[in-house]
Amino acid sequence: MSVKAFELVPAVGRELLMGDKALVNIECIECCGKHLYVGTNDCFIYHFILEESTSTKGKVTYSSQKLLHKHLGLKKPVSELRAVSALERLIVLCDSTVLVVDMANLEPVTSGVARIKGVLAFCVNENPVNGDPFCVEIGIISAKRRTVQIYLVYEDRVQMAKEVSTPEQPCAISLDGYFLCLALSTQYIILNYSTGASQDLFPYDSQEKKPIVKRIGREEFLLAAPGGLGMFATAEGISQRAPVSWSESVIAAAVCFPYVVALDQGFITVHSMLDQQLKQTLSFRDGIILQDFEGKVALTSTKAVYMLVPLPLEKQIQDLLAGRRVEEALVLTEGARSNIPKEKFQVMHRRILQQAGFILFGQLQFSEAKEHFRRGQLDVRELISLYPLLLPAGSSFTRSHPPLHDFADLNHLAQGDQGKVQCCKRFLISYLREVRSSDGSNGWRQDVDTALLKLYAEANHESLLDLLASDNACLLPDSAPWLEKHCKYFALGLLYHYNGQDDAALQVWVRIVDGELQDSTRSDLYEYIVDFLSFCPNLAVVWKYADWALNRSTKVGVQIFTRRPVEEEQLGKMNPDDVVKYLQKYSQALVLYLEHLVLEKRVQKERFHTQLATLYLDRVLSLLAASPPPVEEVTEARRRLQLLLRESSLYRVQCLLDKMGEAELLQERATLHGKLEEHKEALHILVRRLKDASAAEGYCVWASASRGSAYRQRLFHLLLGLYLEPGSAGDVQAVLAVDLLNRHADAFDAVAVLQVLPEGWSLQLLRPFLSRALRETMHGRRTAQLALGLARSENLLLHHDRLKYQGGPIFVSEKKGCHLCHNTFSEPDCVCLPGGVAVHTHCAAQRARDSPSKRHCANPSSHT
Amino acid sequence: MKVKYTIDRATSSPVRLKRRRSRSTMPDYAKMKKPDVKLVILGDMNVGKTSLLHRYMERKFKDTISTVGGAFFLKQWGRYNISIWDTAGREQFHGLGSMYCRGASAILLTYDVTSWQSLAELEDRFLSLTDTASDDCIFAVVGNKADLTDAMAVEQEGEQEESCPASVCPTPPASPSAHKQVHREDAMALYRRILRYKMLDERTSLPAESMCFETSAKTGYNVDQLFETLFDLVLPSIMKKRDDEKISTVDLEQSADVAKAKSHCCS
Ligand SMILES: Nc1nc2c(ncn2[C@@H]2O[C@H](COP(=O)(O)OP(=O)(O)OP(=O)(O)O)[C@@H](O)[C@H]2O)c(=O)[nH]1
Ligand SMILES: [Mg+2]
Repeated sequence: MSVKAFELVPAVGRELLMGDKALVNIECIECCGKHLYVGTNDCFIYHFILEESTSTKGKVTYSSQKLLHKHLGLKKPVSELRAVSALERLIVLCDSTVLVVDMANLEPVTSGVARIKGVLAFCVNENPVNGDPFCVEIGIISAKRRTVQIYLVYEDRVQMAKEVSTPEQPCAISLDGYFLCLALSTQYIILNYSTGASQDLFPYDSQEKKPIVKRIGREEFLLAAPGGLGMFATAEGISQRAPVSWSESVIAAAVCFPYVVALDQGFITVHSMLDQQLKQTLSFRDGIILQDFEGKVALTSTKAVYMLVPLPLEKQIQDLLAGRRVEEALVLTEGARSNIPKEKFQVMHRRILQQAGFILFGQLQFSEAKEHFRRGQLDVRELISLYPLLLPAGSSFTRSHPPLHDFADLNHLAQGDQGKVQCCKRFLISYLREVRSSDGSNGWRQDVDTALLKLYAEANHESLLDLLASDNACLLPDSAPWLEKHCKYFALGLLYHYNGQDDAALQVWVRIVDGELQDSTRSDLYEYIVDFLSFCPNLAVVWKYADWALNRSTKVGVQIFTRRPVEEEQLGKMNPDDVVKYLQKYSQALVLYLEHLVLEKRVQKERFHTQLATLYLDRVLSLLAASPPPVEEVTEARRRLQLLLRESSLYRVQCLLDKMGEAELLQERATLHGKLEEHKEALHILVRRLKDASAAEGYCVWASASRGSAYRQRLFHLLLGLYLEPGSAGDVQAVLAVDLLNRHADAFDAVAVLQVLPEGWSLQLLRPFLSRALRETMHGRRTAQLALGLARSENLLLHHDRLKYQGGPIFVSEKKGCHLCHNTFSEPDCVCLPGGVAVHTHCAAQRARDSPSKRHCANPSSHT
Repeated sequence: MKVKYTIDRATSSPVRLKRRRSRSTMPDYAKMKKPDVKLVILGDMNVGKTSLLHRYMERKFKDTISTVGGAFFLKQWGRYNISIWDTAGREQFHGLGSMYCRGASAILLTYDVTSWQSLAELEDRFLSLTDTASDDCIFAVVGNKADLTDAMAVEQEGEQEESCPASVCPTPPASPSAHKQVHREDAMALYRRILRYKMLDERTSLPAESMCFETSAKTGYNVDQLFETLFDLVLPSIMKKRDDEKISTVDLEQSADVAKAKSHCCS
């Protein structure tokens, strides 16, 4: 398949040139803007204005108007013409002479020396090394054998700049910078006219065929090579592009990027320089000249002038894309990068990449398609819109026009092949994920996220939950029905939640737990809901579902309240009183909640403590009421009750005492009395009724904790008193009293104890107590003596210091000088510095002011 | 002072030193990725140069037409772009050879193992074309169509390729029965003569054993090894080339850096 790259358009017909003079032929042409010059073999130069017009259908036509024609006054053909618009000159080769004529009136420039004789051929350096804009550099093949000359052409004169000799006779010349590219008689060479260095390119028999030397760009030439090749060669003598293949009869070549156009006896061929392929062939008879001018190509037969008008690049590219020739289209596009304004190129390039992406997508070549989409910055919705129903109903998206592809939708593309459809869907998932993670979804995140949600739901994809649990822009009205359709109820709940509709979310979830809806996404959905409620800031919702949760399991359900973060001060803080009130119907939950408040959160509120204690007590009482009471449970229940009674001091003691009634809860009762500071009763209960000496001792320690030693002493004496109380069953109590004294010797006032102890007790029995007491007293006495001694010695030291500072008498007289100002004293008032140095009072004051800290200031003492 | 310094640097940046833009309206044609190094395949027509390259680049063996002029491929090898030139073996295009070889870093001299003549041509016709190659150019002697003579190479054939119908296929049917005219020893002898021609010391050059390959474009036998061995061998030359370029372009920067360092210690 080929591309239509050019259109052949007639420009000047023979009627404007030679008319029907059969012997007159075109020899050379030159284009410069709208000006067209034609040289003929009868020594005329014609000057035309060429107007280009484009029809509405994009067809280009030319109308030409002859301004002038002029005979050069010689009998020879005009063999070459070159316009130099900067100088408004035309350089003409005729009869082996280069002359300079005025571009407007075609009159030869007469002033100065404007003529070079003995010229076989010349070329203009389009990339001259000298920077003078009013001077043109030309290279000529001189009639002098094996010589090439460089001339500078000015407005009114020519000047030879350089002459170089060549190994063989040159027959074609081209020039770029310092580099002459020459066809010699048997080979092509590159010759640096500045250094004289020459570089052989390749052999060529110029006798056999006319050589072509064509500069195609900076330091690069196109040459006719054996076998009808068009070879590219750089100034270094290297080929950087593969050759193009012309016919053996090639006459001329021109370059119109990205194409190389060649003319032979019957055809114009167009090759791409980008991939060297033949792209177009136009038939053209009797062609003699083919030349490129400023992005256009002009050619002539012997009698008429034509233009080859390049079709707009875009059209060519679209043709290639239409033929699914993605690679070529992209090569052509990218090749044009430097020829098109940057902005315009980017827009075009992007669009073509997108189109190419869709072509490859249609061929299921996803990774290539993706790459093109990415580089073409495809609006991802173009792709989504291919998949039916994925774009939200309210999406403002419309496909770009003209369309980027010719698929109606995915089904059209897949032609009913479900395998293909699935492949495409998987691709879209991966593509959308990438788009999301980059910032390619700017502005249409809703569309992207909603589409992704739909795809996930449909494909049962595990990332559905991640999508909904993370930051997303899924549209609720579109997504909810879709999730329902695919039975993704748990996900539906997440979606509601994300959209602030916790109530709706819970409704769905509750229905799943209750078995009304089938979705096994989470087996622990109930726990999930409880957890959810415990964090839910919407209290109305929490209350609404609390019953449901508690009815299912009080123990788990109560976590709604116990797990609530405390920090939610602002956001609908849950009032514990309300909760307690609410939980009345769920006694187990209530206990758990109160425990949470009192034991964990350590809430210091009487009501909670009292209520918890009451509940504990109730439980104990109810357990005890059973017959027989379950021992273990009772123990445990009492342990809790006792702990609370001991640890807390907020509950209402009396209330509990009343409640306890006559129940045999002695330990608890003692504790309660203790709380009321009724230690006598408490100890009485423990000693007399419970008969538990260690409990009694423990009580003393507990009740006096944080109270100071006097309080403690009082309690222990109370206990001792109880043990020693007359009338009680003698012996046992005495042992207890002795043990108590021996164990807690330090808790007693030994003197007071000795006074109350019965006379007859043996000293041996009380030995540990007495020795401890004695040691204690001794210790106290010695410590006190030590402290006294230390205090005394400190006092002595201080005394010593004082005396030292006072020192002996200090003598002041008119002859003595102040140590600070060195003036004598005139008055008896002075200040004595440490060491007995006398100074003026004002000097001392001065010094004290100046010194950075008063530290240096000695104790002023005046002495007369 | 600092500001001044950066301005100095900007004006002396290498960009400014570039040659003035061409006055011509013609663009500087976007040369696609610029190759870092060049590999050239030489050899008589019909030895299978194009087929070898196809096999390597496109991983298949397909019908070819005799190459006109030449063609080239770009191969990304690691961070480098390697251009591989396929030349035309036809006598008619012989003259273009030295231009293709100019600056080449590796040259594959290819013959057909069933044709003694094709080996002889390498020495007679092709060796002199390599005079323009880079000084450190490496040479490989490649005997292609090994499948026609060597049972090993046939068995190598992994999957049956879309084998061309016998009527179209210009080579005899693939069977190791064809007469092997060129033995590896002959190729190695040629390799040594090449070294001598290049006036290289055999002891310091790559050994003949490792630079003489027998391949089959048809079955793929040894083709990857051939190209990849060469790529790995030319890497040092790429690096050297890059370094050279660096030295010539970075110069200014470096001297500026020196100036900076100096001014710093003076101040
Ligand atoms: N059996 C066999 N035939 C091969 C092999 N390689 C190439 N051929 C055949 O040999 C013929 C020539 O192959 P080409 O690759 O075109 O040869 P070339 O060296 O490029 O030839 P020119 O381009 O003219 O220089 C074709 O018919 C190929 O099918 C091979 O390894 N084994
Ligand atoms: Mg070939």
